[in-house]
Amino acid sequence: MSERPTPSPDAMIFLDGVSKRYPGQEKAAVSELSMEIKRGEFVVLVGPSGCGKTTTLRMINRLVEPTQGRIFIDGKDVTHADVDRLRRGIGYVIQQIGLLPHLTIADNIALVPKMLGVKKSERRQRAEELLEMVGLDPATYAGRYPRQLSGGQQQRVGVARALAADPPVMLMDEPFGAVDPIARKKLQMEFLRLQGRIHKTIVMVTHDIDEALRLGDRIAIFDPGSRLAQFDTPLAILSNPADDFVRDFVGSGAPVRRLSLLKVSDVIASSASDAPGTLNAIPVDAGETVHRALELVLTARAEGIEVCVPGGGSRYLDLQALLTAAAQPTKVLS
Amino acid sequence: MSLVAYMADNAGRLLFLTQQHIELVLISVAISAVVGIGLALLTQSSPRLRHGLLSLTGTLLTIPSFALFALMIPLLGLGVAPTIAALAVYGVFPILRNTVTGIEGVDPAIVEAARGLGMSAGRRMRTVVLPLAWPVILNGIRTATIMLVATAAIGAVVRGPGLGELIFRGLERIGGANALEEVLSGVIGVMLVALVLDLLFIVIAKITALRGLNV
Repeated sequence: MSERPTPSPDAMIFLDGVSKRYPGQEKAAVSELSMEIKRGEFVVLVGPSGCGKTTTLRMINRLVEPTQGRIFIDGKDVTHADVDRLRRGIGYVIQQIGLLPHLTIADNIALVPKMLGVKKSERRQRAEELLEMVGLDPATYAGRYPRQLSGGQQQRVGVARALAADPPVMLMDEPFGAVDPIARKKLQMEFLRLQGRIHKTIVMVTHDIDEALRLGDRIAIFDPGSRLAQFDTPLAILSNPADDFVRDFVGSGAPVRRLSLLKVSDVIASSASDAPGTLNAIPVDAGETVHRALELVLTARAEGIEVCVPGGGSRYLDLQALLTAAAQPTKVLS
Repeated sequence: MSLVAYMADNAGRLLFLTQQHIELVLISVAISAVVGIGLALLTQSSPRLRHGLLSLTGTLLTIPSFALFALMIPLLGLGVAPTIAALAVYGVFPILRNTVTGIEGVDPAIVEAARGLGMSAGRRMRTVVLPLAWPVILNGIRTATIMLVATAAIGAVVRGPGLGELIFRGLERIGGANALEEVLSGVIGVMLVALVLDLLFIVIAKITALRGLNV
């Protein structure tokens, strides 16, 4: 038998050839999947229904037991560890939220700390902290019951509950799927901001490629045959789709969507034009997205942008040069 | 002699029999509840066995009560034991059925979330499933209780305790002095016991109602 692979030191989640085969079904739900997710990374699993993305997610906390392969969390093989203890160390958020209707919001949030034997007063304090963190006023909401809250508020409580024991890993199964589109976008943005503070390792499942592109540091696209078609950054997926399925799945708007992911700093190197002079340019920060730069140019009715580059000096790009540069996929790979 | 006068004259005995009747029903229902809820929990992982048990206990309910009491005689003789045994058999079905319905009616997403948080199976049952299923289970116990109040009167055929004695003795000597009054006071007693126990269950339901469910 050959040497089995082990996770690299900065891997938080490592799946080593995991498969799930349900009895009586010819095709495996997930087959021989290997994936490494780094500490603090936000990975989104996306694909059409039945592609195995949810099964993959649920194998990480072993709500689905893999029929084959190994699972590592934080360097430890947890394939056969005590499931309940494993799950208490992994935050879990589902679309239907699943708050216990007969417990107050504070008690719901404190469920895992309670199972871990945290004292009552500390649990209460932790619940209030978390409510604050997800943007709900503890004084108003701690003593309420789930059914007194709106869907969006319940989902925030669901997130707070998953964070209660400060787990390094969070699994989220279509967490924003049940809220209306306006609230969803708001929740997504809030969640990104929260993640910026807490730096959890997050694996999220969605069927919405836009959500995946907006939230993920890296995106794993599964094809209908349960194969991992591509696992890469949003920008790389938009720029260099691995195959026709990924291209189709991402949709026709890819070149325009890329503009919101490309930074001005990504494109200035590839531009030839640095001729100053007559150009009516507006200053843009190198860290802005190309999308934002274009917006600024169009709003100001300017002809191009002026970007300060490190080491002094600045470069000019006219509108045409900016678009040409943004359209070059190769640049992204450097 | 009027009914009221009869009841006043025999108040002591009537009260005693009523009290016996209530005790008989409550003991039998308690046994039924332990068996019914227990069977529902034990068959948690085997829906086929569970539905088999539901059919079986449902079938037992169709045995005429007179016959069931009589069938207990060779096994347990006469008196309290066969009466309680027969009543407990009857009470199992409504409690088992409602427990199963109640457990199956708990939102799977709630159970799934609890599982995902690392709540063990026993803890999930104790703190999530049973509390949420409780109103339905309690209703099963209530149905069983009311049913047993009436059936318990038949227990007199095996010399069981309770108000049935008045009814059967009265009927045996119907036409005799105060026979009708005796029967009627038994019937009225049974009805009153049913009413009082029903009210008791309403109170229990109110006291044990979970907060947060009706908001």
